[in-house]
Amino acid sequence: MKPPTFLKSIRARLVLWLAFLLVCVLTGFGITAFQLHRINRFEQIDEELEFRVATLGRELRGRMGPGRLRPPPPADWPLDAAPVRPRDRPSSPRADTPGERHPPRAFTPRGMPEGRDISLSPATLNLFDEVTTNGFYYVIWSFGGAPLKTSTNAPAQLQGPAPAEAETQVQARTRDGCREAFQLNSIGECILAGRPIAADLTALRHYAWWLAAAGSAVLALGLGSLWMLTTRAIRPVEDISAAARRIADGDLSERIRIGETDSELGRLAAVLNSTFARLEAAFSQQKQFTADASHELRTPISVIIAEAQTTLARDRSAAEYRDTVETCLDAAQQMRRLTQSLLELARFDAGQEPLDPTRFHLSERLRACIDLIRPLAAPRGITFETDLGSIETRGDPDRLCQVFTNLLTNAVHYNRDHGQVRVLARTDRNSTAISVSDSGQGIAPEDIPHLFKRFYRGDRARTNPAGRSGLGLAIAKAIVDAHGGTLDVDSTPGSGSTFTVRLPH
Amino acid sequence: MRILIVEDEPRLLRSLAKALREEGYAVDTAETGDDGLYKALNCDYDAILLDVMLPRLDGWEILAQLRRSKPTPVLMLTARDATPDRVRGLDAGADDYLVKPFDLTELLARLRALIRRAVGQPRPDLTLRDVVIDTRARTVTRSGQPVPLTAREYAILEYLALHRGAVVTRSALYEHLFDETDDTLSNLVDVHIVAIRKKLGAELIGTRRGQGYCIEP
Repeated sequence: MKPPTFLKSIRARLVLWLAFLLVCVLTGFGITAFQLHRINRFEQIDEELEFRVATLGRELRGRMGPGRLRPPPPADWPLDAAPVRPRDRPSSPRADTPGERHPPRAFTPRGMPEGRDISLSPATLNLFDEVTTNGFYYVIWSFGGAPLKTSTNAPAQLQGPAPAEAETQVQARTRDGCREAFQLNSIGECILAGRPIAADLTALRHYAWWLAAAGSAVLALGLGSLWMLTTRAIRPVEDISAAARRIADGDLSERIRIGETDSELGRLAAVLNSTFARLEAAFSQQKQFTADASHELRTPISVIIAEAQTTLARDRSAAEYRDTVETCLDAAQQMRRLTQSLLELARFDAGQEPLDPTRFHLSERLRACIDLIRPLAAPRGITFETDLGSIETRGDPDRLCQVFTNLLTNAVHYNRDHGQVRVLARTDRNSTAISVSDSGQGIAPEDIPHLFKRFYRGDRARTNPAGRSGLGLAIAKAIVDAHGGTLDVDSTPGSGSTFTVRLPH
Repeated sequence: MRILIVEDEPRLLRSLAKALREEGYAVDTAETGDDGLYKALNCDYDAILLDVMLPRLDGWEILAQLRRSKPTPVLMLTARDATPDRVRGLDAGADDYLVKPFDLTELLARLRALIRRAVGQPRPDLTLRDVVIDTRARTVTRSGQPVPLTAREYAILEYLALHRGAVVTRSALYEHLFDETDDTLSNLVDVHIVAIRKKLGAELIGTRRGQGYCIEP
């Protein structure tokens, strides 16, 4: 059976556990306290009663008659008939024989007066004073069971202890709401002192209730405090999860508010916030890229549509149709190149474009790239100066050629007529550097940070008369980065720019 | 009607100019923002097609500067299709906003609507007594019978009809019906007027001696 939802809450579980613990502890504590108190109380009462019984016993012994000695015990009294108190009392004047108990009475002392007149001293009587004491009473029975003397406040229906019960040590019993201590003295009389303990019992009951109430209060207080504390501790967690849910639902710009940054939850919130920031950046980059890409594609599409619709509006000559078709083809090729570049960039982004690093002859490859570009430069009279040395390096030769071709094409395109393109290749202990310089119009300082971004073109226009996209430098940078190298630019507006590729060994 | 197209993508510029000329418009072109602004300020075009993303001076700037002095209707062409961009364009003073890639027929229809609105003639059909000019089909009927007119004749008639009640000077006709690619002789306009009168009746277009031509309201 699945546990109820309530129990799945950490808070609820904590509180239940604490409740269980508290109940156990408080109950044990309470019961122990109550029992101790009760035992203590009764011991106290018993002590008082025994004291009185002993006093009475002493007095009776002293009043066996003026000058009368204690009559000799009957011959068949057991000689070891010294009363043994059940408990060791340091204040006891008699030296008891410890451990021995008097066997039940099986003798009939002879010669004992059946009834005698007993008068007690005032001191003793004080012990039983109704006014100042707690209702102590006494009864003395003769050997035969007849009450010899009874205190005035003795309960009416007072039964002497049964013969088998009474012994010569003090015993206590609870009878009918009274606590009584009784003893047989040496002549077989039973001395009993008692006290009603109704008040004590009530007090004990009240004490028990009081303990229960206190325990409940502690339980309630403990549980309440724990509930409050856990609520306060859990609230940040709930805040975090609510914020995370909102963010996941769409609003990526929101962040979790952190109160104290150093607590465990604070650190968690900080980590989550930075994750959301990265997510937001990635999403907005993606949106920007998609917007740029679709923008780039719209222009060639517009051209095709405008051309085609115009041409189809009426009958045209074959030459006009040819013209239109060529324009449409041009635009379509432009789109093809654009989508290819986009796909390549996307693959680089996703890390799916594996390089094929081998050792290859860099200088030879550079020469080949320059030869490819020469036809582009010739119509404008642009010349090449090279200092390539004879360098071998490690990398993906085809991809690096892509980079060099792009840089060289840019150098020609943004150059002035009859300008120069200088290509240098150097190598040292750490890296190989290839630089491509042109004598063109240069790049404005505010454009430099954006140069390698996708679709960025210096004058912020979004079209390109030569049918090139703005992705060349972005792809070049991606390739160089994948080699673990750097691609930098240095430019002076009006005199030219230099692009430098550094590749580690 | 004379139109200015400001667009930096040359193939698109060529296509649009060709399409509009075939529709009977006189078309001037500009490939950069500076050029476009200069032409827009120096000539009263009947409408301007303005691309937003231009080198050096973008469409917003051109619009702002144009609107300081001229009420020329402007139709913005752009690949920026987000609503904030559209709102910005319209609030900046453009009369219409068309997103690339667009349908050419839609562009032409919007252009016609723009021009109609600018001259205060909201209905696409113009009726001058027994002559009905259908500005969409660019045809003219007289008492229900179609009347063939050359492109130039139609252009002159349409212009006079759209400005009926006003006297249109000969030089205004030159400005609005011939573009920079035209090599024209001044009395061509008169020749066309004579031809129109022959086809549609002499009372249609009145002459104000020394001033110009007028179609009575």
